[in-house]
Amino acid sequence: MAIGVKVMKRPTQQTSYLRATLKGMALTFSHLLRPKVTMQYPEEKSSKDWTLSSRWRGTHRMLTDEQGRAKCVACGLCPQICPANCIKLVPGEDEEGNRYPLIYEIDEFRCIFCGYCQEVCPEEAIHVGVHYENSEYSRDRFVYDLERLSAQTHPVSTLWDPSDPKGE
Amino acid sequence: MADGLINLTIDGAPVSVPPGTLVIEAAKQAGVLVPHYCYHPGLPVAGVCRMCLVEIEKAPKLQIACATTVTEGMVVKTQAPAAKDARQSVLEFLLINHPLDCPICDQAGECELQDFVFQEGQPGTRYGEFAKRFNPVEDFGPDVLYVPNRCILCTRCVRFMEDVAKEPVLNVSERGDRAFIGIHPEARLDHPWAGNVVDLCPVGSLLSKDFLHKARAWELDKTASICTGCSQGCNITLDTRDEVVVRVRPRPNLDINRYFICDHGRMHYRWMNRGDRIEAPLVKKDGGLHATDWDEAFARVLAILRGASGKAVALVSPGASSEALAATKRLLSGFSWTGAFQVVMGEEAPLSGVPNLALRAERAPNAKGAEQLGYTRDYAQALAAAKSAAVVLVLDEPDCAVETDGALIYAGTVLGEDAACRRAEVVLPIANVAEEEGTFTNLDGREQRYYQAKPAPGMAQPAAWVLGQLAQEMGLAEVQ
Repeated sequence: MAIGVKVMKRPTQQTSYLRATLKGMALTFSHLLRPKVTMQYPEEKSSKDWTLSSRWRGTHRMLTDEQGRAKCVACGLCPQICPANCIKLVPGEDEEGNRYPLIYEIDEFRCIFCGYCQEVCPEEAIHVGVHYENSEYSRDRFVYDLERLSAQTHPVSTLWDPSDPKGE
Repeated sequence: MADGLINLTIDGAPVSVPPGTLVIEAAKQAGVLVPHYCYHPGLPVAGVCRMCLVEIEKAPKLQIACATTVTEGMVVKTQAPAAKDARQSVLEFLLINHPLDCPICDQAGECELQDFVFQEGQPGTRYGEFAKRFNPVEDFGPDVLYVPNRCILCTRCVRFMEDVAKEPVLNVSERGDRAFIGIHPEARLDHPWAGNVVDLCPVGSLLSKDFLHKARAWELDKTASICTGCSQGCNITLDTRDEVVVRVRPRPNLDINRYFICDHGRMHYRWMNRGDRIEAPLVKKDGGLHATDWDEAFARVLAILRGASGKAVALVSPGASSEALAATKRLLSGFSWTGAFQVVMGEEAPLSGVPNLALRAERAPNAKGAEQLGYTRDYAQALAAAKSAAVVLVLDEPDCAVETDGALIYAGTVLGEDAACRRAEVVLPIANVAEEEGTFTNLDGREQRYYQAKPAPGMAQPAAWVLGQLAQEMGLAEVQ
């Protein structure tokens, strides 16, 4: 016994695809006239509508004093606070007998960019940077030593300020 | 309550202490630490820091807990508002000139000023507009640096040198806010026990040059140990960082060293970190020593011991643990054996203020223990006897000039390029004092235990284990 299929009788404007196609095309072409949001990276890295947040936590930077020496005094707080255990520090003395890091290395692969090192630093020496272009040709280049950290020039993070939680 | 004790109440807790006890010591029994700087149980009371002010009921003013003796029915309140307020003010005064250079200060992490300011200080200062006093760092002696800026003038160092070391070279120079710790212009802080001022200093004002900038206090692992510098048997703490011993500090023991250790003991730790250690058992093959595993080394030793008879000689180190010495004795008990040790002698340096405490002339920790186990001091005779012995066992005597026609077995930590022990049939690598647990017997016959502070290198094992295993294989020890 054949199954009886019920056929709906619909008006012509609903069975024709022309109307829906034109409607879709109109929406598509209307985008040509809207303002552009695409940024031409890498030629263009920020625009007036969008910049990297000043609280961005990227690869580190060591600040230096007037003589160009790292401000770090090797107090040992950043390796202590670091949850990823990515900072290697060996304290020593400089020529004037001041406490100074003999070895200061950050493994950026291990780093989770929490920013605790910047927060804990009593000398305001180590900072996380507002920076994200880190590609290298070899893995070992991702262990930044003191010289490399001091040579970075990108801006440093302001971190989150509890007295100004929304960054206003 | 026992007779002759005085009953008092400290912060609501009843305490019974002998008459003459200071309130600060009674408070320790009640589990209350009264903040203090100038008071130290090993030094005479000075009462200069005013930090331990507490409220005592019926007393007209706050009293210093370090110089007030207990009386019957006394009610002490260390946390009374007036006492807390007074201590907070003392801390504020101390911090007027303190540089707060904790990031570069070696004491950070174990600094009493840090601790008490954190515990009960106030968040800010009211003296921010004045420049802090500045004095340059002074070189006090062979191992002591003085940083006057950090000094809080507790005078513990002055009292130690005057009353304990009895060599009063330190004083408080100048007065009022210009005061600092001065040293006699023609003297140096080179007393053999002078290093204790570094431990006594509650802040980072007196620093050890040896430990300067080496490690942070919170990175150190602390292990109870016994000093190997001499036969006194001072109790020490070995501070290790990344499995390297970086500092030796005294561990209080009122019966032996009180709160002090001498500078010889303090500096006597570098050998524990030697890098040129024997890391694997070595056996003689084709005229040379070759690395092997413990099984083969044990088999060689057992073959030697089972195949030999007659005389055996043990040349042992007086720095070996009593357990290792006893195992050696047991291992050779099947022979007619003699055991001997030699002790390096030095100059005796007593600490005048403490009876029966000195850097002893015998510079070995376990000479008494070796003697009690039947080893003799007649080293020359034992060396001569070794010539004709069937088996000679050398226990950690790397420079031993042994010569023998029999079989030579060497258990040691190091083996020099042209050491006599290179002629050994078997070389067994053993752990040093920082890498094993054991017992030393000091010159008064007091047996004291020391504990493992770091792992032994490579395949090295504690000597007591190595020799004990061999004795067990020989059927000379009880099977465990």
